[in-house]
Amino acid sequence: MEEKTGTRSIEETMEELESIIEKMEDRESTLEDSFACFERGMKLVKECSQRIDKVEKQIMVLSEESGEAYEF
Amino acid sequence: MRDPAASETGLAEKVKGPVAAGTGPTEEVKEPAASGTGPTEKAKEPAASETGPTEKVKEPAAARSGPTEKAKEPATSGTGPTEKAKEPAAETGPAEKVKGPAASGIGSTVRKAGQQGQQRASAVSGVETEVKSMASIYSVTQVNSYIKNMFVQDYLLNRISVRGEVSNCKYHTSGHIYFTLKDKSGTLSAVMFAGQRKGLNFQLQEGQQVIVTGSVDVYERDGRYQLYAREIKREGVGDLFERFQKLRDELEEMGMFAPEYKQPIPRYARTVGVVTASTGAAIRDIMNISARRNPYVQLVLYPALVQGEQAKYSIVEGIRTLDLMGLDVIIVGRGGGSIEDLWAFNEEIVARAIFECETPVISAVGHETDVTIADYVADMRAPTPSAAAELAVFDYRQFEEQMQRYRDILTRRMLGQVELKKHQAEQCRLRLMMHHPQRQLNEKRQQLADMEERMGSLMEQKLVDRKHRLALISGRLKDLSPLTRLSKGFGFVTGADGKRVESVSKVEMGQELSVRLADGTVKTKVEGVWPL
Repeated sequence: MEEKTGTRSIEETMEELESIIEKMEDRESTLEDSFACFERGMKLVKECSQRIDKVEKQIMVLSEESGEAYEF
Repeated sequence: MRDPAASETGLAEKVKGPVAAGTGPTEEVKEPAASGTGPTEKAKEPAASETGPTEKVKEPAAARSGPTEKAKEPATSGTGPTEKAKEPAAETGPAEKVKGPAASGIGSTVRKAGQQGQQRASAVSGVETEVKSMASIYSVTQVNSYIKNMFVQDYLLNRISVRGEVSNCKYHTSGHIYFTLKDKSGTLSAVMFAGQRKGLNFQLQEGQQVIVTGSVDVYERDGRYQLYAREIKREGVGDLFERFQKLRDELEEMGMFAPEYKQPIPRYARTVGVVTASTGAAIRDIMNISARRNPYVQLVLYPALVQGEQAKYSIVEGIRTLDLMGLDVIIVGRGGGSIEDLWAFNEEIVARAIFECETPVISAVGHETDVTIADYVADMRAPTPSAAAELAVFDYRQFEEQMQRYRDILTRRMLGQVELKKHQAEQCRLRLMMHHPQRQLNEKRQQLADMEERMGSLMEQKLVDRKHRLALISGRLKDLSPLTRLSKGFGFVTGADGKRVESVSKVEMGQELSVRLADGTVKTKVEGVWPL
């Protein structure tokens, strides 16, 4: 499972995060289960965040090359 | 200059001298004069015989008297300055055509002339008496002068039109034209002075039938009278005009003038053929205008005959030759002239050559008012050769200006396009920016943060929840603990073996027991047992 995250899109990863949260929202789930979810979730959050940072860096490189500052 | 001419033709401008200076208006002289002007020989003879004037005087006059009948008769009657003179004139009148409006209308003139004559007679009475005394002998000058006076006073001779055939025609270098008019039985000297040349619009040539309008006057020096022409018109023009109309109608019938056959004249011709005479105003005008308007246009001249019998063949050959050269446009024409001069351009073979010419043809024949068959059949008609050059040769400066305008327009349009595209590109760029991945990244990051926070709080909640539950449970547990009861006065009794003592039956007297209270243990001995 963890290896797979490398090939999944950020969106897919985030979908998994959603489902993890859903599971955690179930009050009847065991604490151990919740903790396992939490642990997995935090790991996914970290991964996702790193990948976002990476894409952002690529954008900044592109912008520098084209001499165009991005703006919103 | 004038002298040789004068000697040749017996003419000079001076002809009109002081009038009547020496004219003895005496009866005798006058009669011969009257008879002298008699129109036909017949008329003259009776006059001569009747009046029997001084022979010398009369004869030359008679001999030279002009041949045109009508003109002379009124002159005869009109010239009689005195009453006497009039009578013989009336007698000589029998010349057939005397009657008529001319004869009757002269009455007043005659009277006037008569009065003048009388006055003059008294004025020169000295001479008169002398002459009389000399038995009616006059000087040549006197006679010529007298005769001249008669001519001058004759209103009809002052404006007269004479029909005849041209002969002995001479164009003098001074610009005057000397010629003789003749018909079957007579001749009349005539001159057209340079100053009157505008009255002649064709080349006067031998054998032409013409009508000359002018005045008949006496050239005193030679004792001759002649016709001073103010205007000369050709006769027979009517025939040519009929031929022209006939051919025009025929060709029109065939559709040769139809607009659908007209080729457009190229606006920017670079080579222009010209079929015209190599000398003459036409080619000169065309060259001048071409050079002025556009020195880069090449003119190709086919030197053609434009007048005379061979002209039509020459023009046709010219059109065909230039047509084969693949020029842009061809001008066919010539300068102004009489209808005969321009006739080659009314010939059918010329019209056909123009019609068949692959190259667009501009006709340019004569003046504005001259319209020829060539004009009808040509792709365009120019009123004059100059105008043809204006049509065929585009104005280089205007062309340059036009090109500059086009250049400006193109540049402006192009720049406009570039601006537009730039703007569109900018719009695209802005839209791209709206969807910049950074935005998405930020969104994702926000989602991620949200999820992270949510997970954290969920985890927290769960822990709190479980702790809470634990607390509840442990609370209940505590309530159930025996130790809790001890605090209310109860004690927990155990034996020496540490086991709890549950029944009185299990204890013996003196046995040691431990009693656990809330805050400690009491050692005791059994001193009594009382079962319940």
